[in-house]
Amino acid sequence: MAVLEKGSPHRASRSLSEWLHDERVRSVLYQAIVAIVVIAVARYLFINTSENLQARGMSAGFDFLSTGAGFSIAWSVLPYTAGDSYFHVYLVGIGNTLMVAFVAIICTTLLGFLVGIMRLSKNWLIAQVASWYVEILRNTPLLLQILFWFLAVFSLLPRPNKSLSLLDLFYLNNRGLYIPAPVPGDGFNITLIAVLVAVGATYAQAVWARKRHFDTGQRFPAFWTGLGILFGLPLLVFLVTGAPLTFDYPALKGFNFLGGASVPPAFCALLLALVIYHSAYMAEAVRAGIMSVSHGQTEAAYSLGLRPGMTLRLVIIPQAMRAVVPPMISNWMNVVKNSSLAIAIGYPDLVAVYMQTSLNQSGHAIEIVAMVMLFYMSVSLSISMALNYYNKIVQLKER
Amino acid sequence: MAELTHTDAVFTPKPSQPPPPNTVGVVGWLRKNLFGGPFDSVMTIIGAGLLAYFAYGLFQYTIVNAVWEADSYRECLDVTQGAGACWAGVDKWMNNYLYGRYPDAEQWRVNLGGIILAVWLAPFWFEKVTQKIAVGVSAVLTYPFLAGALFLGGDNGLFMQAMSSVALTLFAAVWLNVAACYSGRRSLGAVLVQVTGFAGKDDRLYKWVYLAAFAVGFVVAFIFQSTWNLAPVQTTNWGGLFLTLVISGIGISTALPSGVILALGRRSKMPVIRVFCTAFIELFRSVPLITILFMAVTMMPLFLPVTLNPDKLVLVIVAVCIFAAAYMAEIVRGGLQAINTGQYEAARAVGLNYWKMMTLIVMPQALKLMIPNIVGNFIGLLKDTTLVSIIGLYDILLMVRASGQDPKWLGMHTEPMLFAAFVFFVICFAMSKYSQHLERTIGGGYGRR
Repeated sequence: MAVLEKGSPHRASRSLSEWLHDERVRSVLYQAIVAIVVIAVARYLFINTSENLQARGMSAGFDFLSTGAGFSIAWSVLPYTAGDSYFHVYLVGIGNTLMVAFVAIICTTLLGFLVGIMRLSKNWLIAQVASWYVEILRNTPLLLQILFWFLAVFSLLPRPNKSLSLLDLFYLNNRGLYIPAPVPGDGFNITLIAVLVAVGATYAQAVWARKRHFDTGQRFPAFWTGLGILFGLPLLVFLVTGAPLTFDYPALKGFNFLGGASVPPAFCALLLALVIYHSAYMAEAVRAGIMSVSHGQTEAAYSLGLRPGMTLRLVIIPQAMRAVVPPMISNWMNVVKNSSLAIAIGYPDLVAVYMQTSLNQSGHAIEIVAMVMLFYMSVSLSISMALNYYNKIVQLKER
Repeated sequence: MAELTHTDAVFTPKPSQPPPPNTVGVVGWLRKNLFGGPFDSVMTIIGAGLLAYFAYGLFQYTIVNAVWEADSYRECLDVTQGAGACWAGVDKWMNNYLYGRYPDAEQWRVNLGGIILAVWLAPFWFEKVTQKIAVGVSAVLTYPFLAGALFLGGDNGLFMQAMSSVALTLFAAVWLNVAACYSGRRSLGAVLVQVTGFAGKDDRLYKWVYLAAFAVGFVVAFIFQSTWNLAPVQTTNWGGLFLTLVISGIGISTALPSGVILALGRRSKMPVIRVFCTAFIELFRSVPLITILFMAVTMMPLFLPVTLNPDKLVLVIVAVCIFAAAYMAEIVRGGLQAINTGQYEAARAVGLNYWKMMTLIVMPQALKLMIPNIVGNFIGLLKDTTLVSIIGLYDILLMVRASGQDPKWLGMHTEPMLFAAFVFFVICFAMSKYSQHLERTIGGGYGRR
């Protein structure tokens, strides 16, 4: 009746080879070997590093962060003047990276949806155009596209005194893109508060409409109401408080534009290249997502008497989103990561100002590389956490 | 009732009418696919207009107004006024786009290396050839040494000599095997056994036959390659498309094996191994390639002993391999997760151990399932290789930029970039089409998932 446990019948009398063939012993052994090798390599690298640092007369540590960086940064979202600390440079770099990535993510999502739907169009020409757009963009390197937009488009724009202009409000020339800058007056804060209130109210009414729909079966036009609240309330408050917002318009003074807000050509080129390149990937995600909803779903919805618009909104899109969102979010992550190619055209993003300029000046390679990697890792970890959360919500609830 | 039963009436259907003329043929196709409704028609007209405009512009720029013969960009501009491409400059720089600063007189070595690789791998596409896996493995493991010896030239030490001799021997073996297979034999091994008269003897003696044959081949190859007298070419002179293909080729060929190991490690039951693999994968997947490259060229030299003084190209290749392995690991893991647990259990039930289960049952299915992703990853790697230009390796992209800064061709940016884009597009598009073909032929072989 003795139940023989695998590999451990008579512990005392086993030979060495028997002992080595025990799966659990082996498992421990393998892990120990791996751990020892990793630790040995780490120790080896550490010793080398400290010797190298000593030979170069450098010290490791984050003390340099508080010392002043002697260089200037061409353009930054956060205020910066030459002589601010290296830590400030780090923050400025993060600001610039997030700025371009954020705008690119919004634009690329919109463009990607458009192209993805175009690829599924019944119109042969439109579908072909969209599919070649995707093929060409996906099969050429992003860096090449960035350089193309920068060197072959934005660098060849006219000088400021011959700028391209739109409505005399927006100007585009080889120094960058100039747009009117909003200048908030007294009491503009009230409008901002109204925006927050409107967002809350929209959410509340959406929840209420959903509950009512579930309880009574009656539909409530939550989308249009929400849109009304979202834009109407702030606008109303804005007008009631006397429209406390003026614009600072760019104007040509001498050889350059003054006033307004401006972004450098490198920003425009990078943004355009990122948006166009990733929109091709986004389009593929959208197309694959919509294709993943079987035609039977459409037929079932029609047979229940839903109109085509409602079928799309209530049956197809909710199911397609389940397949679209994960690749879409990983695409967003790629946008953030690929914005680091800014360095090739001199847009001062995190990698350019911190990993290149600051590293060359201070020489603290290990600390700086670690800090930059830390930033990208925390962005990507938070994005993948959001993704996991989303997946948990939309997972098919199977009984 | 009776009259009805023996009626002569036979049902003869009228011949069906032809379909309405506007639903068949060219008109029908046009109506269905381009002019299905007012909105559709408007879209078609707008789309066709835009397409014609761009196609006409591109045609004018690249062909009609282009200049094919000139000595400087200034000359081109005088002729075209900027309305046409200056292909003369691209032509003058072509050698640099392809080979970088590799000496003209030595470029045959690069070509020869490429040809050897193509010939080595060609048996993959021969139907009768057996042991295709051996062809692939031998090429991946030993070709880099042969190519390295060929491209570098000079004296690279005994190890490189030995390894390139091994490569030459295996290369010969691959093609002798092809010859054997096409002359009706089972494989090169069978022929060797027969020729030496060991046929019918103990199977265990066969491996000594193989080994002896290999040793003979090795000695011949070693003597052959020791007669080479190749001029040394520094890696700093490597460049252009050649360098791009070297870096991405090494990255691609190491990505799959290391990705498989990392993926298995991440799914392992041993916590220490799992933690290390997961940390490695997540670390290198979550940061951009450019930061890994910077790490390689700025941080790696600090990590290594001063005496080692590694080549920049080697550091970059290591960085690219790490990056590629981390991405590939996640793809392989996706494939492993898609395999039904029943497959694992069945493999265990017939008594296979872990490695046999993985190599014979699970991996073949998982990798087949993941062919589109794997090839997609290869394409991505080839494109990402252009990032090495940022840290100053003269790959095709940096050569393109350099040609626009050449005093004679100052400002020539668009034309070389169009050329480079065309090169990348052709390679990547061919790869993606081939992967679709593979997916159709071997990917869905089992029909059931």
